[in-house]
Amino acid sequence: MVCLNRTLNNALLAIVYVTMTAFQSVFGFEAFITNERSGDLVSINHKGEIVHVQPICNRPRGMVKGLGENQLLIACSDDHQVLAFNIQNRTIERTFDNLHGAMTLAIHRPTHRLFVTNEGQSQATVIDLQTGETLAVLPTGLEPDGIAVTADGTQIFVASENAGLVHAFDASSYKQTAVIVTHLRPRRVALLEDKLWVSSEMGSRIEIFSTTTFQKVGDVIFAPKGFRSEQMTPVDILFDQTGTLAFVALGSANHVAFVDVKSLEIEKYIVVGRRAWGLGLSPDNHSLIVLNGLSDDFTIIDIESRRPRITRQAGLIPHAIEVFER
Amino acid sequence: MRKVRLFCGLIGMSFAALGADFHVTILTTTDLERPIRGHSFAGIQTQIERPVHRAATLALFESQTSYNTFDVKPVLTVLDLDSTREYRSQLSAIHPNSLVIVDTPEQTFVELALVLNELNLTTINVRHTNPDLRENLCLETLYHTIPSERMYFDALVQFLIHSTWRKVLVVHGPSEIDHTRANTLNDSLSKFGADVSDIREFTLSHHPDDRDKNKPEYLTGGASYDVVVVIDTARDFGRYFQYRTRRARPVVGDVGLSPRSWHRTLERYGAPQLNERYRSFDHTAQLPASEAMSDAEFATWSAIKLVTNSLNTIATVDRPIKDGPLNVSSILKHPDAQVDLYKGSRGSIRRWNQQLRQPILLATADAVIAVAPLPKFLHPQHYVDTLGLDEPESTCQLN
Repeated sequence: MVCLNRTLNNALLAIVYVTMTAFQSVFGFEAFITNERSGDLVSINHKGEIVHVQPICNRPRGMVKGLGENQLLIACSDDHQVLAFNIQNRTIERTFDNLHGAMTLAIHRPTHRLFVTNEGQSQATVIDLQTGETLAVLPTGLEPDGIAVTADGTQIFVASENAGLVHAFDASSYKQTAVIVTHLRPRRVALLEDKLWVSSEMGSRIEIFSTTTFQKVGDVIFAPKGFRSEQMTPVDILFDQTGTLAFVALGSANHVAFVDVKSLEIEKYIVVGRRAWGLGLSPDNHSLIVLNGLSDDFTIIDIESRRPRITRQAGLIPHAIEVFER
Repeated sequence: MRKVRLFCGLIGMSFAALGADFHVTILTTTDLERPIRGHSFAGIQTQIERPVHRAATLALFESQTSYNTFDVKPVLTVLDLDSTREYRSQLSAIHPNSLVIVDTPEQTFVELALVLNELNLTTINVRHTNPDLRENLCLETLYHTIPSERMYFDALVQFLIHSTWRKVLVVHGPSEIDHTRANTLNDSLSKFGADVSDIREFTLSHHPDDRDKNKPEYLTGGASYDVVVVIDTARDFGRYFQYRTRRARPVVGDVGLSPRSWHRTLERYGAPQLNERYRSFDHTAQLPASEAMSDAEFATWSAIKLVTNSLNTIATVDRPIKDGPLNVSSILKHPDAQVDLYKGSRGSIRRWNQQLRQPILLATADAVIAVAPLPKFLHPQHYVDTLGLDEPESTCQLN
């Protein structure tokens, strides 16, 4: 009897705990996931439930929030175009064509410019989202992937995987300003204040460069105990809303790293699905969503407790994620 | 002054004075090659062997942006040697800082490697898998970017163990090389604890007296096994084993599922882009989608990329870029020399026998089934070193 009581108590406590955890994320969200192979856009809510599956295009990959509140821009690599998708009425509003092998996107909203890497073309394209006009073609190294534009819209950075280089451009003249040498296979670039973070997939590290001098100012090398450094293949980088914590998806290591932005110490490695690539952050800064490209699923991590909350099936080869407040 | 220059090199503002030539020399002896390479009897094509020149050109072509950034100018020379004349005098034409890629038959390779070593020229083996070249020849200037036979067989046996196909029937051909390779396979089988059910030899003879040795049904009968490993270096007979084994068992080795260093159907790690580039980069000689780099071509591409990628990975302070030619030897000797192999793990040099460490693919004709090292095969230093002769086992202890 005592035993049963205890079990009941524990069960009640568990229920209370679960409810509290659930209430922690008071803000709902709808997150959109591109799936390279199934060619669809899967949307999920904060509970990790699939809300909607939208067949979208051939090999959808990079995404970025568009100009309008409900607009999502999606790179369709095998269709060589970028789609403007309205998440409210779930329709395609517009297409931007002739963007060969469109892969990763960046946007500068004040000047309504979209920056697109053209995988297979050794270039990135700048387009005006209002007129649809091509403003510039930026020559890069082979296999350009990650692209970023500074908040003030003055500088563009493009990582070329094969070349092991990041090309920097002046965003008004579109002239190349520097070529930054990185470690092997630079994938994604992320900007935080005057620092450029670059993930080196085959170098198992993040390298941090100054956006003014282009000099390397730091690095984060991933080598957790029990792993071989070669298995650490970082791809996506994301900062939390306070800019104090960086999240890095470690690819084949099946983990996500939490990095302290100030000290560059790796705070924690959290196990997720296979080949963790894409990263998304909930609007309330409570949940990190990780896309696992080889196990075709996503993991939602509770940032505060640093624990994975849920892992669910996505589409085939989930690639990128954008999260909208709902 | 030196510091300032390095800084400029780093961010890619090149100075005219900083130019460095990257010399690559491919050595061939076309007069010694079999007239139709890669064809078995009666002109039936069983494997494709292209000269490695195309892969070398691709490696240099695709790094153009890097070379511009580092102000490096690649210079590719093909030297076709005359086998009737003494080699040493012909080799003296090679630039002393050249990366020398040797694409010749094995016996000539050994002769050339010895002379090249005396001339202190950095030499790359891109074609020969013979473990002896690593273990016994073992030259200071000699590197191997093609995997050794032991790496290939270790990868295959890891796959068998991983699949719990532990009982293995080995069938090999009558040639000396088949015997030698069967011994190497045996070493791999015992390394990972497989059980050898039997070792049998086939013959090409169709004589009725030989039927126990010339019919796959008989050769694979009267034994209990999970899998058949076929060794047939000449690709004469092994291809008849699939679907003709006495027991319904998979066939692996030189036929069926084979260990390969590169494959046209590798879907991950950026490999489709490399395959596409290989076929289309030369607008005057495009290749159909069925074509991809052979292992020798991939080894050639890897060697040039190893030098190129190392310009990125070798720490800024001792970046080996100076006026004049690139010091290929010091780049390859550097502990941070690394290469992005498009196989999900970076490649580097095993210091003891100068073999390029790399994952090995296990592939059928139209699919990559697995990539070795397989999960759970662990190594205290470097996980790819579960493939091939490890430092404590190797008789070659160069560095």
